[in-house]
Amino acid sequence: MQIGVMKKIFIQGLLLIALFFATWLVFAQVDWMTVFKVHQMTDKTEQKLGELFFDIFKKSEKENVNPFVANCVDSILTKICKENGIDKESVQVHIFDKDEVNAFALPNGHLLIYSGLISASDNQEELSGVICHEIAHIELNHVMKKLVKEVGLSVLISMTTGNGGSEVIKETAKLLSSSAFDRSLEKEADIKAVEYLVQAKINPEPFADFLYKLSANEHEVVKYLTWASTHPDSKKRAEYIIEYSKKKSAEYEAILSVATWEKLKEEIAE
Amino acid sequence: MINVTKFGYEPGEHEAEKASNSYLMSLIAFIAGLPLPIINLIATLIFYLGNRKGTYFVRWHCTQALLSQLSVLFINSYGFWWTVSIIFTPNEITNQYIAYIIAAVIFNLGEFIATIYTAVQTRKGIHIEWWFYGGLTDLICKSES
Repeated sequence: MQIGVMKKIFIQGLLLIALFFATWLVFAQVDWMTVFKVHQMTDKTEQKLGELFFDIFKKSEKENVNPFVANCVDSILTKICKENGIDKESVQVHIFDKDEVNAFALPNGHLLIYSGLISASDNQEELSGVICHEIAHIELNHVMKKLVKEVGLSVLISMTTGNGGSEVIKETAKLLSSSAFDRSLEKEADIKAVEYLVQAKINPEPFADFLYKLSANEHEVVKYLTWASTHPDSKKRAEYIIEYSKKKSAEYEAILSVATWEKLKEEIAE
Repeated sequence: MINVTKFGYEPGEHEAEKASNSYLMSLIAFIAGLPLPIINLIATLIFYLGNRKGTYFVRWHCTQALLSQLSVLFINSYGFWWTVSIIFTPNEITNQYIAYIIAAVIFNLGEFIATIYTAVQTRKGIHIEWWFYGGLTDLICKSES
């Protein structure tokens, strides 16, 4: 009698659990992300934020409008995007005249490169490496993740509706240009960057050298090393990039000719 | 899900009130501690400890009120930590998450309604046994006679 009752209760309990999981499973069939327009909402917010932050840099700094420089960087970008199946329209590169060795991504695929970074690169592979790293941040949606984590979604949305206050927007823009992502996100972007580089037949080793060089502080533009100083443990990063790229052996080819690269450096120096 | 059965004896007025209160207790705590699923469990547990020396009818319903918290406790705890992980870690909102939250809300609502109904009925001295929890309570809570 007792065993019979216990068995009945046990079955009832199992049914209760099964009922819950069945409910969950049934509801999981619905594409809630579309129903609640989660993607459209975040896309719109990101678009607005991208414009907002880009405006700040556009106003406070000088954009490089030299068509030769733009063409060179565009050639590198086009090659990387094409070989990796990235929609080139999703990345918008802007070059600014500034001695800082820095490049960073803003929401909605804006990629800002300072001329100081191009000057500090000894060859095009180094520059391509940094570009790939930033494209990886864009493609992996790190920019919005970082903003949501550090500023909060409510503040971001209030910015897009015009209630943010210009100081807050400026501070947030600064956050993007001069601070790194989480260590795990940086590593993820590094690994992805090496994948992009190898796929585009660009040797990833100079990218590691670049990090190593900057970490060793041997470079002439040490005082402007924003990109290296905000990205911690450059040496370690260089090591795992080398380690990871060793696994991928491929034949590499240059995107820009030696002469074009030299001319780019000259144009930038002016 | 809910069974109205005959209890061993006719409960008195004060017994019915106390038994009904144990459900009310969980309701109030449910509203107060909604984001933290552990709170209503603690509230009913305290009420249970206070009344476990009471009459059979009171004891029985205290136990059922306590046990009935268990299923939503598990459901809500999981949902709670899932939400925390979305806010504080790179985890993102997925269809699975939204479906889980909806299922959790439905189960919470079901339990909420059942609790109100049971509180009202026990107040009138009507004995109500829940699916699964009623049987479980029968196993745990024995009449002294």
